[in-house]
Amino acid sequence: MSSEERTPVAFSVAKADDPHMQPKAQNPKLAETLIGLVMLAGIGSLIGFAVAYGMNAQSWIMGGTLGAGVLFLGFGITAWGKYLMPQGPFVEERHTMRGTDDERERFKAAVVQRGGGILGRRKLLAMIAGAGMSAFAVVLIIPVFRSFGPLPGNTLNQTNWKQGTMLVDSTGRPIRVNDIAVGGVVTVYPKGLENTDTGQAVDQTILIRVGTEAVVTQQGRESWGPNGYVAYSKLCTHLGCPVGLYEQQLELLVCPCHQSMFTVTNGAEPIFGPAPRPLPQLPLFVGSDGLLRAQGGYDQAVGPGFWNRETSG
Amino acid sequence: MAEKTKQQAKSSFGPVGKALDELDDRLGIAKGGRSLLDKIFPDHWSFMLGEVALYSFLILLGTGIFLTLFYVPSSTVVVYHGSYLPLVGQKVSQAYATSIDLTFSVRCGLLMRQMHHWACDIFLAAMVVHMARVFFTGAFRKPRELNYVLGSTLLILGIVEGFLGYSLPDDLVSGTGIRIAFSIIESIPVIGSYIAFFVFGGNYPGPQIIPRFFIIHVLLIPLIMLGMVTAHLFLLVHQKHTQFPGKGRTETNVVGTAMFPVFAAKATGFLFMVGGVITLLAGFAQINPIWQFGPYDASKISYAVQPDWYMGWLDGALRIWPAWEWTGFGYTWPLEIFIPGVVVPGLIFAVVQGWPVLERRYTKDNEIHNLLDLPRNRPKRTAAGAAVFALVTMMFIASSTDVIANYFHITLEAVLWSMRILVVVVPIITYFLTHKICQELQASQGAGKRKRANVVTRTPDGEYLSAPAEPRPGDEHVDLEPEPVPDFLEDPVVVRERKELLSPVSFTGVRNVVR
Amino acid sequence: MMTRPSLLRRLVLPGIVLVVTILSALVVFAGGSSPTTSSSSSVLISSTVATANRQQRNYVAPPAAYQTGAPNSGAANSSKRVFVNGHLVAYGNKYIKYVAPPAALKSFGEALYMQNCASCHGVAANGVAANGSPDNYPNLRGLGAATIDFWIETGRMPAADPTSVQAPSRIAKLTHGQAIAITSWVDSLAPATPFIPIVNTKTSNVSNGFSLFALNCAACHTITGGGDELAKGTYAPTLRLVQPTQIAEAIRTGPGNMPRFTGNLSDKQVHDIVGYVSNYIEHPRNVGGIGFGGLGPVAEGFITLGIAAVLLLLIAFWIGERT
Repeated sequence: MSSEERTPVAFSVAKADDPHMQPKAQNPKLAETLIGLVMLAGIGSLIGFAVAYGMNAQSWIMGGTLGAGVLFLGFGITAWGKYLMPQGPFVEERHTMRGTDDERERFKAAVVQRGGGILGRRKLLAMIAGAGMSAFAVVLIIPVFRSFGPLPGNTLNQTNWKQGTMLVDSTGRPIRVNDIAVGGVVTVYPKGLENTDTGQAVDQTILIRVGTEAVVTQQGRESWGPNGYVAYSKLCTHLGCPVGLYEQQLELLVCPCHQSMFTVTNGAEPIFGPAPRPLPQLPLFVGSDGLLRAQGGYDQAVGPGFWNRETSG
Repeated sequence: MAEKTKQQAKSSFGPVGKALDELDDRLGIAKGGRSLLDKIFPDHWSFMLGEVALYSFLILLGTGIFLTLFYVPSSTVVVYHGSYLPLVGQKVSQAYATSIDLTFSVRCGLLMRQMHHWACDIFLAAMVVHMARVFFTGAFRKPRELNYVLGSTLLILGIVEGFLGYSLPDDLVSGTGIRIAFSIIESIPVIGSYIAFFVFGGNYPGPQIIPRFFIIHVLLIPLIMLGMVTAHLFLLVHQKHTQFPGKGRTETNVVGTAMFPVFAAKATGFLFMVGGVITLLAGFAQINPIWQFGPYDASKISYAVQPDWYMGWLDGALRIWPAWEWTGFGYTWPLEIFIPGVVVPGLIFAVVQGWPVLERRYTKDNEIHNLLDLPRNRPKRTAAGAAVFALVTMMFIASSTDVIANYFHITLEAVLWSMRILVVVVPIITYFLTHKICQELQASQGAGKRKRANVVTRTPDGEYLSAPAEPRPGDEHVDLEPEPVPDFLEDPVVVRERKELLSPVSFTGVRNVVR
Repeated sequence: MMTRPSLLRRLVLPGIVLVVTILSALVVFAGGSSPTTSSSSSVLISSTVATANRQQRNYVAPPAAYQTGAPNSGAANSSKRVFVNGHLVAYGNKYIKYVAPPAALKSFGEALYMQNCASCHGVAANGVAANGSPDNYPNLRGLGAATIDFWIETGRMPAADPTSVQAPSRIAKLTHGQAIAITSWVDSLAPATPFIPIVNTKTSNVSNGFSLFALNCAACHTITGGGDELAKGTYAPTLRLVQPTQIAEAIRTGPGNMPRFTGNLSDKQVHDIVGYVSNYIEHPRNVGGIGFGGLGPVAEGFITLGIAAVLLLLIAFWIGERT
């Protein structure tokens, strides 16, 4: 710590009745008794904790006894310090932080004259050494970061939905065209991927039956909604939360995270909230076996926005 | 005080004194030790807020070590077999399974988990309140700018550490937060997807994020924070604490209580009390019931999900920022994520960190300041701080739009639009209101202070004289002139018997002896 | 000489403030924030069709209000079917039994209907008002017995405020027997499935139910079942006070804005979900202490900033000096 020189020429002695040495309590004996009792209660509570632990008591009993014990002990020690120890106030002088002018001169000389002199005399060497340090720093960063993960490439623009991919629910069961009543909603995945990370995180799709006739959500999507079914990416275009909340009378998908609202019959256009783009739609068709399949991938990249996001295909 | 005229030939401090001599032979503690023990700490109550942060940090370390001995940071899928029926047979990650085991199968495990989480919430609350105290009293001024920067960096690290920590159990609620974090990183223009893939080891979710979060949470950040806290405390001791202006206090002294024993007693006692409060909370108030949330699945979601309170302001900003995404030059600029998620917090942190420099530029004040300001005496700084605080608070309230709508039966749309307006209007009003209040307080005499009555006496000639009353019982020390810590104490019993010899005694409670 | 107020007086006021704060926090959070309550009785009149013949050839089932071709999904194409006098009176399996309301209660139900429902839904239960013009109120024909029973037994109907965006669940004005009677009459006008489900929650796999709940229900009702506000003034109600039959009815019929789950959830899956909700949503295992209504980090933030921080500040205020 600070290296003050204390020249002990004369010691100071405090008289026993110095008001600074007196406790703050008006009745120190009473205070001592009370504090002692509180601390004893604390010890008792701690013993209670030990017993509670031994009996594998419920968490609140263990927490209550341990907490009360520690709290009472703490109160006791604090009250002792506050009411029974010398009340002060005491003072000490601050030592000036700064050195004397002489010391400063010599310090600055050491740094600037010695250091500057060395570097100034060998300018070229200094520049090369400096370049070397920078190169070291840069080169060190490259493997540190690059080894962490793969380059994104085009991964974020792709899903596993292809032409003819079968829609299955979370148990792997395919969806028949007559299975879902009007107003029903299912979370679907590409067949085989319902239990995988990528299937759940990227390919998750929400399938909604809004009616019994074909649903046309946008121009050019006449065949995308057979038999009243529409399918949208379940990844919210705001921050990627699953948009699992469907209100069937309002025909509205609501994202539970930040309450973006998407109109289901209008291509999942966002009408409220922070989501900037509609949910990409998955074109469907009904196979000859009556099972719902995808005509191909989504109309655009799924999920939140990012720099090189593809807006078509 | 009596001066000691001759040194004592032989020390008579008993076995403790002998042990101290031995230590001094080896470590040289006598030279600096005395001044350390005599160090004065001003004891205003608002100087104890940093202590709350320090003690909760210590509790975090202790409970955290306990948790690391049971928790397994792995995304490997296992089938849960334990005592909580709704999870038995479900495929969960090992991280989740071991967190549930900590809750139900490890004795005291749930208490430790809850102590850890409550201590984290309180740690951040204490840092915020402590930083507010430092800001509003101007304690960040020269020579303490570096300490202030250390402290605000600790706050930022604490927020990150808390987020990483509550994401470790891999439950449905915190997993949603990780997805949002991925999207925020992804939204950085040009390099966002690269950074996201590097951090996550691939596309979301990736099996590496839980182990990486774990090592950052239990090793990297705690090490950095420990180092910073040590530096923070060292600077505090080296530069000595600031103090409010008052009786006997100048720019070149410190008035208060000595480190040993009074401050040590109060500090230890406070450590126990903070620990006690945290433990009581952990016993009676349930926090983060991960067994009710279930394991994380990227296609599952719960409504009414908010992050922990210290991240709430970020979530609120993301909710209320309008959907202004821009597509230009063939690229997507996700401004509706990037601005509220990265730019706004970056700006706020930059202003907070850079405030000492900004204020020095603005006031052109390069003096050393060891005496604090009363907030009312610096109305512009106080009002600016209050306005920024109001802004962050409104963003924080905006993160619970759905809870507000549900509780007060207002539509979501109404709440959201109200928050969008309030987040702009309230800070502006706060600035002017605070400024006015400061000026009013300055104008009134002794506002907010304990009044000392005047005792009026009437002389027989009919003259009225007034004098300040005696201090209240228990406050007499306020009137005392501060004096330096004495080297030795008179033992009253010994003095009564042997008036010549002065012998030091150990420093316990000195009785009020009438001589 | 000024005397300090006694120790008692100095502690009384702060103590009262502290106690009041803690109590109000408890009331706000432990009492739950949902505005809805529901306590319909749970005894369903047992089916009187135990003596009927099991299977009948050339039988045409009543139309399903909510079409599904998937077997064992709430429609009459379930494994076991029970007929009386050529009428289907029950179907289902060991997980859920769907029972038609007893025909004997029809006339009693008609009287009750005219008294309680006709003013809005019309004397012919087709949503036409007395003056002949179609009104806003839904046509009740052909919706299936489960639908009618659900709305009455949860107390949503008769609606306290017919103009509100969404009828809240309340303490049912009509008793369970009265509800069945009205259901019986309304269903008789245009008989349709699904019938009233009776769920065998004893065999529920609560683990499977939890997983399905998280995927299908938590997005609206929250993972702890507390409910929350949705779009345009609608809301997902709390699940903490609902009877098993009504849970199954809601799942199968999708009342109001709730989607209906038919072919995508089999009877076994629905009975698992109902078992989970009845046992764990309605009786949450709050082993960590007070549950604060399952509100999550919002409540925890309140406690941290409103109680813990204040308490620690008060302690610091006590320990330190005021000058």
